[in-house]
Amino acid sequence: MKLKLNYIIYTNNGEYLVIIAVSGKGGTGKTLLSSLLIKHLSETGKDILAIDADPDSNLPEALGVEVVKTVGDVREELKVDTAKGNIPKDMNKWDILDYKIMESVVETPKFDLLVMGRPEGSGCYCAVNNMLRKIIETISSNYDYIVIDTEAGLEHLSRRTTQNVDIMLVVTDKSKRGILTAQRIGELSNELDISFKEMLLVVNRITPDNKDLILKKAQETGIEIVGTIYEDGEVAEYDVEGKPLVELSDDSNSVVAVSKIVTRILNSN
Amino acid sequence: MFEDIPVDVSPMYEGERIRSANMFVELAGPKSIGAELVQVEDDVEDGKVEVIGPNLNEMKEGEIYPFGLLIEIKGEKLEKELEGVIERRTHELCNYVKGFMHLNQRDQIWCRVSKEAKDAGFELEHLGKSISILFKEEFPIIEAITIKIFTNKEDVETFLEKANTAYEERDARARELSDEDVDVFYGCVMCQSFAPTHTCVVTPDRTALCGAINWFDCRAAAKMDPDGPIFEIEKGEVLDEIKGEYVNVNTIMTDRSQGTVDRVYLHSVFGYPHTSCGCFEAVAFYIPELDGLGIVDRDFKGETPLGIPFSAMAGQCSGGKQVEGFAGLSLEYMRSPKFLQADGGYERVIWLPKAIKDSLIDFIPAELAEKIPTEEDANSIKEIRKFLRENNHPIMERLKAAKETIEESETTTEPVEEEYSADMEATPEIEGVPMAQVAYTPELSLPSSGGMKIIFKNAKIYAEKVIIKRK
Repeated sequence: MKLKLNYIIYTNNGEYLVIIAVSGKGGTGKTLLSSLLIKHLSETGKDILAIDADPDSNLPEALGVEVVKTVGDVREELKVDTAKGNIPKDMNKWDILDYKIMESVVETPKFDLLVMGRPEGSGCYCAVNNMLRKIIETISSNYDYIVIDTEAGLEHLSRRTTQNVDIMLVVTDKSKRGILTAQRIGELSNELDISFKEMLLVVNRITPDNKDLILKKAQETGIEIVGTIYEDGEVAEYDVEGKPLVELSDDSNSVVAVSKIVTRILNSN
Repeated sequence: MFEDIPVDVSPMYEGERIRSANMFVELAGPKSIGAELVQVEDDVEDGKVEVIGPNLNEMKEGEIYPFGLLIEIKGEKLEKELEGVIERRTHELCNYVKGFMHLNQRDQIWCRVSKEAKDAGFELEHLGKSISILFKEEFPIIEAITIKIFTNKEDVETFLEKANTAYEERDARARELSDEDVDVFYGCVMCQSFAPTHTCVVTPDRTALCGAINWFDCRAAAKMDPDGPIFEIEKGEVLDEIKGEYVNVNTIMTDRSQGTVDRVYLHSVFGYPHTSCGCFEAVAFYIPELDGLGIVDRDFKGETPLGIPFSAMAGQCSGGKQVEGFAGLSLEYMRSPKFLQADGGYERVIWLPKAIKDSLIDFIPAELAEKIPTEEDANSIKEIRKFLRENNHPIMERLKAAKETIEESETTTEPVEEEYSADMEATPEIEGVPMAQVAYTPELSLPSSGGMKIIFKNAKIYAEKVIIKRK
């Protein structure tokens, strides 16, 4: 199922809900940015929902939480139960799905996490996806901020699963391919007429030596650069050891860089 | 009306979720037990709310407690049959209470009370009071209502037993619910993005082809999202009860298929079978040589007796096409007593994969179960014929009867007759050279002119040799 957030304007508290999505080529630092975004936002005392929409991502590990069941697992479970005739006729599947999705949300004191998980198997998913979409919309309307770690590449655009996102953060590293993907994300969203309130570029893994050159190249994507994150030995170390990135200290370079980015985005909103 | 309730009560709080970070306590849910039940009783004291067990002020923050909600109602026009319908609204009405989260139904409920509500002085009596008012407002036929809330483990356990018995009785009734018992069917056009002329008609007996939604789900969906892809079809006039043809269904079909399909039979693969989207769980297909039906499901990877796998067959009869002799269906439909009733139901089934046979064994008439071969028993027409004859499948009678009628009238146009009397492999042989089947198509239009159109139905093309050449 592809997440699609429609018609969410106000949260249940009547406040404005902000949906931030992080996209880019795989391996450029989407999960780093997402997890540090969540780390920063969760200090604000607001209700945060993190959504891991990348079947191949490791956002839960970066956030230091364990996931028992993904939305994909719930979907398969329901399909199996339905086919076997295990569900009492008189009970409706919306309610059952609703319950199971709520069960799959990982709840922590600072943020909640919903993992989309594995892609669909064979068979028809129209009905179940249609239900899931509505249920996730309802759940989403209970939060102040939603941060979506999208799947790598462009598909979230062509499938229009991120069209209701307020702020699209595109991440690239110094690689030519990373920058090219960022540029395509920009072009495709224009072509498809998906107008995010803001689309901003974050350049990751730069060094003092290559900074000017990379930024110049990044500018050619046509996306406004909102911030940079320097090559960070500490992040690399955490990655090697498999330590949650949210445990990086508040004064670590990457955390400071992302905090600056968040402040910039939210102030302009 | 809700003056003495310390929190807001309004439909705007529907869909409220309480994060564990913001909750005071959790009631029932995956880590505890709980249930809700509506019962029609003779002796009901109106407006009474009772909390049996610890109330919120006796509960500890962050803990999880068992939770039972018993709603007793009385009214001149209230019947036992309405309990389920009324109980179904509990979810919605409980959610009107700000700071009270309620999910799902029956013994699968999950509730939470927010810290905010607790701080405002909210107690379980307030929940009871609110819903008793809301229920009477929603259902004016309720003349008196009493709410009992249980929060002690022992009480909830006893209550659960009582509730489960009631659910079972209700399920038995729901299973018996059939097309005749309702006034409304539902249409679903969720699949029209890739099958633009397909509308799924969902009735109590006929679950949607994808198997994902039944009549009850549609009823819930149409109510929740009236402008959505699932809509009501007034049943209206019945044209043929056995085949399942309805005036209003035909009208909706015509309308939603832009005139492509103007008639459907809900319970037959012949004449005007229901169209198929592409997502069906299984296909029923006609086997002309034996005048019977085969069933194949999506998970069956081998070849069907028609010589093609599920995928190829699905490709030929999906996309909103109406192809006589083929009907997409859900496995659940095969549990209905109306399952292809116009064609003879299971008596007409002469082949199906073992996996579905096993899963449906309780629904296949006992005297037929052993007579229907699976891929383990027979795979070609010849093998099936042999199996059917040895096991005395009722289709043999049918074939014999058909043969006699035909012999009497001395016509030889029926393929059934030819094949049966020949009693040979379906594959024709010409002067000892075996012919291989190179194509099978349920419908084949030939390019033609002069105001004429030639359509072959259920065409099988045999060839002695197939040569593929680069141009």
